[in-house]
Amino acid sequence: MKAKKCEVKDSECHLERIRRWHSDLESNISSLIDVLKEIKESSKVATIECSDYYSKTVELTQAKTTFTFEISHELKAPIASVYNILNVIIDGYLEGNREKQIDLLKRARVRIRGIVKLLDDLLLLSQLVEGTKKIKMTAIDIEDILTPLIDRMEEYARENNISLSWNLANNAPPIFGQLELLEMVFSNIISNGIKYSNPGGIVEVEAKREDSYIIFLVRDHGIGIKREEIPKIFDVFFRGKYARGDTREGMGLGLSLVKKIIDAHHGIINIKSKFNKGTTVTIRLPEYKKGRKNV
Amino acid sequence: MSKKVLIVDDDPEFVETSEIILRAHGYETLSANNGDEAFKILKSEIPDIILLDIMMKTKGEGLWVSEKLKADKNFRGIPILMITAVNQDADMSKFHIDPSIDQEYLPVDGFLQKPIEPDELVQEIERIIGDKVS
Repeated sequence: MKAKKCEVKDSECHLERIRRWHSDLESNISSLIDVLKEIKESSKVATIECSDYYSKTVELTQAKTTFTFEISHELKAPIASVYNILNVIIDGYLEGNREKQIDLLKRARVRIRGIVKLLDDLLLLSQLVEGTKKIKMTAIDIEDILTPLIDRMEEYARENNISLSWNLANNAPPIFGQLELLEMVFSNIISNGIKYSNPGGIVEVEAKREDSYIIFLVRDHGIGIKREEIPKIFDVFFRGKYARGDTREGMGLGLSLVKKIIDAHHGIINIKSKFNKGTTVTIRLPEYKKGRKNV
Repeated sequence: MSKKVLIVDDDPEFVETSEIILRAHGYETLSANNGDEAFKILKSEIPDIILLDIMMKTKGEGLWVSEKLKADKNFRGIPILMITAVNQDADMSKFHIDPSIDQEYLPVDGFLQKPIEPDELVQEIERIIGDKVS
């Protein structure tokens, strides 16, 4: 609104104008202070966000460096062993000892198979992380996943003096997923249960229906996992300090891959463990509903 | 008398092939799968040199073992040949040690990077122990 004109000698009018200016100025300053306060708040938020992003970037860079280091080690150690085996045979250290030569060559073959498996797993893991893995989802019965594993797992359990109990729900509805990937998951979880059980122990495998999920439980009573190690168990290459066994068998990629596969199937994996008491792995997978499409 | 080499590594094929090579060159060998096993052996046997892998089941276990050995007056005189699987620089920087600067402070007498040629292994041991065996 335009300010009223005052007569030159009308001091009251001038005072009134000044008062109004002053009041306008105060209100403008107060608005300005509010705006500045808002800017300060948002800059505080932005600073925190920037700092979070920075920490995350540093963390990711470190994780990438660690990953490169771990993968180099995991690949180079078996390659170096195969190289050593070839050296001692080619350089004649085992001349005349054909039995030892064959034994070492067989072990070299196992190591090479381990390297190829690790590379396959890495490729799958990176595809799952990037979201480029095309998962061919179909309706699968529990038996389709677990029955082919039973013989293999029973044999592995026998070799380790462990018994297995199977309690699989009859007539449970199918789940929705890719058979080979889910076989990989359960092969990994059950063999871990066997590997980390104490001789004479038992590993229980259970599958049941709960709401619209199929719940898989694999319970062992073995060495368990220390509480501080549980948050790290899905990390690539993590192996518990007390995890025993042959390094070639468990390169630590297993559980991170399992987690990614379950995530890709919209499932949930949960691990409960007590050190020296045992571990229970629970996997919940949504049951198949007609009309669902590939993810 | 033949010299004794203690190999500390969790890779059974590396241990066995190294033993084959070293025995062929007249060395006596002992082996341990990890640091704890190595210290158990050291209670009854004092080797002339220890081949020590830096990365066993626990990362950097070799460093821990070498530091513990050098801190013990009974074992500090045993030379250590550190074995690395990735490469010396990568292994060391992982543990915040720069070999170009800190090597003289590291509690070891030599490094070898896997894969190791048989001749290289024998020569490095001879260099450290200081005399030929066979």
